[in-house]
Amino acid sequence: MTAVLQIIFDALSLGSLYALGALGIALIFGVMRLVNFAHGDFIAFCVFAMLWPSVDAAAIVFAGQLPFYLLIPLLLLIGAALSMASELIVFRRFRNANPATMMIASFALGFVIRHLLLMLYSSRPKSITLWPSLGLPVEFLGAHIPMLQVVTIVITLAVLAVLVLFLKRTRYGLEMRAAAENFTMARMLGVRANAVILLAFAISGMLAAAIGLILATNSGTADIGMGANVMLIAFIATVIGGLGSVPGAVAAGFLIGAASVVFQATLPHDARVFRDAFVYGAVIVVLLVRPQGLFAPRSARQRV
Amino acid sequence: MTMSQRRSIIRQTITTPIILMLALLAIAALTYQFGSRPLNRTAVEMFINIMVVVGLYVFVGNSGLLSFGHISFMCLGAYMTAWLTIPPVMKSITLKGLPAWLLHTQLPMWAATPISGAFAALFALIVGRVIMRLSGIAASIATFGLLGVVNNVYSNWDSVTGGQGSIVGIPPTMTIWTGWLGAAFAIVIAYLYSISRSGLALRATRDEAVAASASGIDMVRERLIAFVVSAFIIGLAGAAYAHFLSIVNPGAFYLRTTFIALSMLVVGGMYSLSGAVTGVVVLSVLIELFRNLEKGVSLGGLSIALPNGVQEIAIGIITIAILMYLPTGLTRNREFSVGGWLLQRRFARPAQTALKELN
Amino acid sequence: MRLTRVLGILAGTTALAFTPARAADEIVVGFATAASGFMQAYDKPAQDAALIRIDEINKAGGLLGKKIKAVFADTKTDQAEGAKAGLAVLDQGADIVVVSCDYDFGAPAALQAQAAGKVSFFLCAESIKAGIPGVGPFSFSGSVLAAVQGATMAEWAYTKKNARSFYRLLDSWTVYNKGICDGFDWMLPRLKEAALAGSDTFKNDDASIASQITRIKSLPKEPDAIMLCTMMPGAVSAIKQIRAAGIKSMILNGSGVDGSYWLNAVPDLSNFYVPVQGSVYGDDPNPKVNEFNKKYKEVTGGDPSSQYVYPGYVLIDVWAKAVERAKTTDAAAVVAELEKMNNEATLFGPRTFNKDIHHQNQGRYLIVDTEAGKPKVVDQWTISEKIPVDYLVSK
Repeated sequence: MTAVLQIIFDALSLGSLYALGALGIALIFGVMRLVNFAHGDFIAFCVFAMLWPSVDAAAIVFAGQLPFYLLIPLLLLIGAALSMASELIVFRRFRNANPATMMIASFALGFVIRHLLLMLYSSRPKSITLWPSLGLPVEFLGAHIPMLQVVTIVITLAVLAVLVLFLKRTRYGLEMRAAAENFTMARMLGVRANAVILLAFAISGMLAAAIGLILATNSGTADIGMGANVMLIAFIATVIGGLGSVPGAVAAGFLIGAASVVFQATLPHDARVFRDAFVYGAVIVVLLVRPQGLFAPRSARQRV
Repeated sequence: MTMSQRRSIIRQTITTPIILMLALLAIAALTYQFGSRPLNRTAVEMFINIMVVVGLYVFVGNSGLLSFGHISFMCLGAYMTAWLTIPPVMKSITLKGLPAWLLHTQLPMWAATPISGAFAALFALIVGRVIMRLSGIAASIATFGLLGVVNNVYSNWDSVTGGQGSIVGIPPTMTIWTGWLGAAFAIVIAYLYSISRSGLALRATRDEAVAASASGIDMVRERLIAFVVSAFIIGLAGAAYAHFLSIVNPGAFYLRTTFIALSMLVVGGMYSLSGAVTGVVVLSVLIELFRNLEKGVSLGGLSIALPNGVQEIAIGIITIAILMYLPTGLTRNREFSVGGWLLQRRFARPAQTALKELN
Repeated sequence: MRLTRVLGILAGTTALAFTPARAADEIVVGFATAASGFMQAYDKPAQDAALIRIDEINKAGGLLGKKIKAVFADTKTDQAEGAKAGLAVLDQGADIVVVSCDYDFGAPAALQAQAAGKVSFFLCAESIKAGIPGVGPFSFSGSVLAAVQGATMAEWAYTKKNARSFYRLLDSWTVYNKGICDGFDWMLPRLKEAALAGSDTFKNDDASIASQITRIKSLPKEPDAIMLCTMMPGAVSAIKQIRAAGIKSMILNGSGVDGSYWLNAVPDLSNFYVPVQGSVYGDDPNPKVNEFNKKYKEVTGGDPSSQYVYPGYVLIDVWAKAVERAKTTDAAAVVAELEKMNNEATLFGPRTFNKDIHHQNQGRYLIVDTEAGKPKVVDQWTISEKIPVDYLVSK
């Protein structure tokens, strides 16, 4: 029983991480049809923002030493600022471009950020100590669950709740949903395109900062490639969940996290190294069965 | 298509591949004559990249679908070449899981390369039957999944592929002339495909999917053909790469290579063969320029050098800048030809229509 | 099109800019290593140590009466560029090509050196391929095989700490990690009363290894030791999670986790053992090592971050000795001298080379024990038997 409970919690916490990532990607995709390949590098940037640039092995933490009620808002702000800056400087010019062009532009942006970080900080991972007490396990019905996992799940649910309320109840949320469904029509009806897109980027940036904080606290290191894995899965989850559907992306994130954990727990020992192949295989199967995504909104289905 | 129609198409468009091949020949000759050994290697690398990106164009440019998985064909081609050309003595120690007939085979480059291409094409045929039913971004993600699966399997099937560690022993038989030959061959295949009936049909589905299928074009079949042809070309590129470096490992055929290849294609012009070649040449030249600036250039008595690591940042910024001002790429989706720029627009540029397939 | 051609010629001429000038009274050591990109953080420290040795030799009168000159080419952590870097240093007259710390990234340059008939030395590669099997008869490595680390920890824990049940946890991310576990696998059957309690794998960038930990915790008895075959950066997270789950077993590692720079992330870490060739913590039993650490700090401005600095020093040391004995830099003669070395003393442990293996399949390791977050050398160990070359190559 405890083993099953452990697996459920592992699946939930890994799924939450992927869900947060998927949310960041889906929001921008919804309003701009842009897959932001730089998202993983935004995550890494937010983590490195806590350190003073240096190529030494030991990190000189400057912002990381602030108390949590200052550090968290600061990092969220940095994430939002970076994201909005990339919108203003880079993505704004690509509004009407081919999706492939936008994708490559976002990849190039991520490339630039990653190599900038590499130049400033070198590739050696730096240690960051953030709230080590969160690593201690909490006992729950016999299963030992690290406090951090619980915090991750709680944060994800909270973020989702806030976002759902925002999207469904506020005017800005309404504008965002309209823009996601049909951008041109929404503009004609008076939605301010630039404001909505900027807002989507800001929220996405804050989500990136949140993921960065969770990853840094969990692993205790700051490493250039930190957000890459989450970004990849988030991208896949956005598509499987159904393009244009934000709750779909979140659900798909949870599903992929669960699949990964379940495969790890149930595959025989020699097959375990092929876990990722199984996960990708499952993704392909899902796409074959439901190409428009698991939770595609009705507008996504082609009428012809 | 009647013979006279076909001949007129060839007459109108044949200048494109000829111009491309001659331009590359000029680059090869100049590099061979005046370039240092490292520069010659850079040129060979560029030719191999041309093979990859032209192969990518055959699928992406003609079908309009972005594929993230094509580099897995490069992996397949490279490893097949490795299996066929490494001396049996070395293979029996490190790759014990290979079947006996493969362990004892050793073929020269000219035999191993087409077999590698065919192997990649066969794999594409099997996988494509499944994936090509998908459309739009679902297909792109499925190809992503393909890349992930191939990479994961090749990285962990130690007895057959050597796992993540590199395997060595492939004869280093790539010279600048074989490089050029490979690139020219890729261009020829891509050209022949694009003027073929299947290529035209596929481009019709790219520009106007609904009307095309209403006209009786079997979209899945045409896409599959493009998928297989592109896999063949990229498989050849993988074989060339193996002979170039003499060492292969799965990490070289994963995300970084995928995105660099896609960048070169999009920067050059996604929907044109000239675009594919131009993108590779321009970016390769820029990369080499910045790398030399990092090494330091002496002007007079002064030596200036960019700090290490600037090259990658500069290339990223330049890519963004090019795409910002020329969103359809450097060639603006047109092909190079001798007089008759206007004629080419019919074949290369996608039409703007009201109903576009949801991407 | 014209623009492209102009750019091409421009690129070509700048490539010709550096002229290979080689004086007759100089011996050239070519460094085809990473000065940018991912590997730079690992190549540079070992390279700095190598340069320190070169400097020492030059100050003591040079090699064969000539000064050693170091030339450099950046591999940019790219295999294709690595081959070019190898060619570039060879074109500058290199008598020996020193290549990257990792087999995959060092091999392209080493293969060029081999083809040119020159000696190549891997800065700190720990794969069996970094040498004869993966490059050729003129190739060597300055470090010790990863497998030796796994075998050393197993034998030491069994003999000195009475560990009887072992759990094998492999990070399948790199060949280095697999090498450590291969050595462990070889040693375990030779330890009479030792038993494998279980085995599992994870990937370095997994956000959580909770399912792997669950498996360990569901064993009837906590294993005496966990053989953790992993490296940075994922190692930190794995270790954190193991201790946070309340698993108190000894954690045995490879040298890849050496260094105190990451210990802050796992507060009060204890019962944690790492094999090293020399101690960066100032408490090496050989006082000359502590002196070297000080000199390293003077030259580079920082303490050595991990023991991977040391093989760079060792490689120049043994190569220079071989050159002195052969009285020439000609590759065949130098290789013959290197292959005669049997337990040749160096600052960081003995080195043995012979016709079958240009790497170390046995080595003297210092065991560093971390208690309450403070690492300290507590013991030293050499495995009782050399790991057979056939076993290693076939893995």
